[in-house]
Amino acid sequence: MVKLFGSQKSSPRLERLHGLSLFVNLTPAELRIVDGLLHERSYLAGEVIFDEGEEGQAIYIIASGEVLISRQDQGDVERASPVGANGLPRRRQGDSGRVAQLGPGIFFGELALLDNSPRSAQARAATACQLIIFFRDDFVSLLDTHARIASKISRQLACHLGARMRVMAQAMGNHQHAV
Amino acid sequence: MNHAREGMSAASEHHHTGSGPVVWVAIIAVTCLLLLVFQKVLWLVVPFLLALILYYFLYPAVRALIYRGMSRDAASSVVTLAFLVLIAVAGIALMPKIASQAAQWQDTVDRYVQGGAKLLDSSLRAMEGSWPTLERARLADTVAARLKHGAGNVSDHIEPVALGIMAWTPSLLLAPFLAFFFLRDGRRFKRFLGAAVPNAFFERTLYLLHEIDRTARAYFQGLINLTILDTLTLAAGLWLLGIPGPLALGLICAVLAWVPYVGSILGGLLVVLVAATDFPGDPSMAYWAIGLFVLVRLLDDFLYMPMTIGKSLELHPLITVLMIFAGGAVAGISGLMLVLPVLGVVMVIGETIGIIVSDPRLMARHRYARALRQQHASADL
Repeated sequence: MVKLFGSQKSSPRLERLHGLSLFVNLTPAELRIVDGLLHERSYLAGEVIFDEGEEGQAIYIIASGEVLISRQDQGDVERASPVGANGLPRRRQGDSGRVAQLGPGIFFGELALLDNSPRSAQARAATACQLIIFFRDDFVSLLDTHARIASKISRQLACHLGARMRVMAQAMGNHQHAV
Repeated sequence: MNHAREGMSAASEHHHTGSGPVVWVAIIAVTCLLLLVFQKVLWLVVPFLLALILYYFLYPAVRALIYRGMSRDAASSVVTLAFLVLIAVAGIALMPKIASQAAQWQDTVDRYVQGGAKLLDSSLRAMEGSWPTLERARLADTVAARLKHGAGNVSDHIEPVALGIMAWTPSLLLAPFLAFFFLRDGRRFKRFLGAAVPNAFFERTLYLLHEIDRTARAYFQGLINLTILDTLTLAAGLWLLGIPGPLALGLICAVLAWVPYVGSILGGLLVVLVAATDFPGDPSMAYWAIGLFVLVRLLDDFLYMPMTIGKSLELHPLITVLMIFAGGAVAGISGLMLVLPVLGVVMVIGETIGIIVSDPRLMARHRYARALRQQHASADL
């Protein structure tokens, strides 16, 4: 009975999942449960992952490669999300429509985990990449069956959104200051 | 089963306003074709459907164990094993009683059939007494002669039924086995299916798979609750009327009602046969039984069904009735039983393909991705 309910050993795949910022707080046993819900897809450079305006159903996590986020009305790079060595999106100046280019470990399309609003930007593979996909419905069922796991993921998500809001507020402050 | 599979189609309606006539013609044609094929492999289709019902019946218990920290594999094994043990214990407990009564079954069935025939005869003669036209037509005599000629001896019918049950037992034993794998590997199967879908359609298709799963779960769990409610209501009514074996009769009728229309009629007939035979001098008892059955059907349609399965799961009644007739014409009794679940699945798949094919952006993305892959594959040639 102890074994039935007890924790299990980690594996290289689980260690790789543990390295992703969204799942960094999960234990191996919790990761194993989440792993059962994830999908993995390969994209070639230039392939569209999702379009702006499309109804979002899932969050994407970059396992390897890079993804370009761009917007139709984004000619102005002032609106682009800045980047840092801490894993936040990197800014690529001078490209019309480009919002950010994201690297391994970063997740995007996260608002789809919270509601079914249309995607606010297009995501396209900048290089050949491997993506891990987590569906909103699976996340919602996780809230029912494994509230502890779901709360850990939600916390990471909240941290990510908070960091992005701070960056946006800072960018707006700089812009007003310059004006 | 009518209300369910149609609910599956509701999933796709989030994304479009409705399928066109071409898609619908294709859906109906594929449904009929599949029914023809399924008729040939009923030994697999019926256990598969039963396994699906069992899966949704056992799923809450598996989920509860997972919620308490057990792995999916262990939870599936524990719950399936517990179910099998329960069935085995019930079988062992009931076996002596069944064995002792088996010898009397033929007489019992014969008695109930005779009771039903007597009720029909007395009702027709009463009608002849009221309407001279019927008396002149000698309706009661004609029906009695045809029944005698057509029905033959009960033992002639019991033997093939007993042989049929014996032949079906091994394939029915497949049901718990399949249900275990549905419980254990359902998610893996979904991932496996998802892996076969091209990137451009992946998110849309997976969303629909989720919707199918959610609706099917709501339907089958609703169906189980509905069966319990029907059983209890019928049992209470039959008990009040004083008809013997009310719980068993109620359960049989509730399960028969899973087969649309035909099942309800068979259930009603069964109750009337029992009432007519056990109260031969009191035809009013059979009429009370009919009244009770009609009342339960009304409760079912207007109260229980919305409470359990839900009104939102209903398909257009015209399509439901037409497809039931089509299923019966194409594949007989098995067609009647399978037409609606098959139609539900084909509808979801057909509508999904319809949505994808009619979305120029998704198709363009798919073509572009395919071109990229071809280019990538031949880059160094």
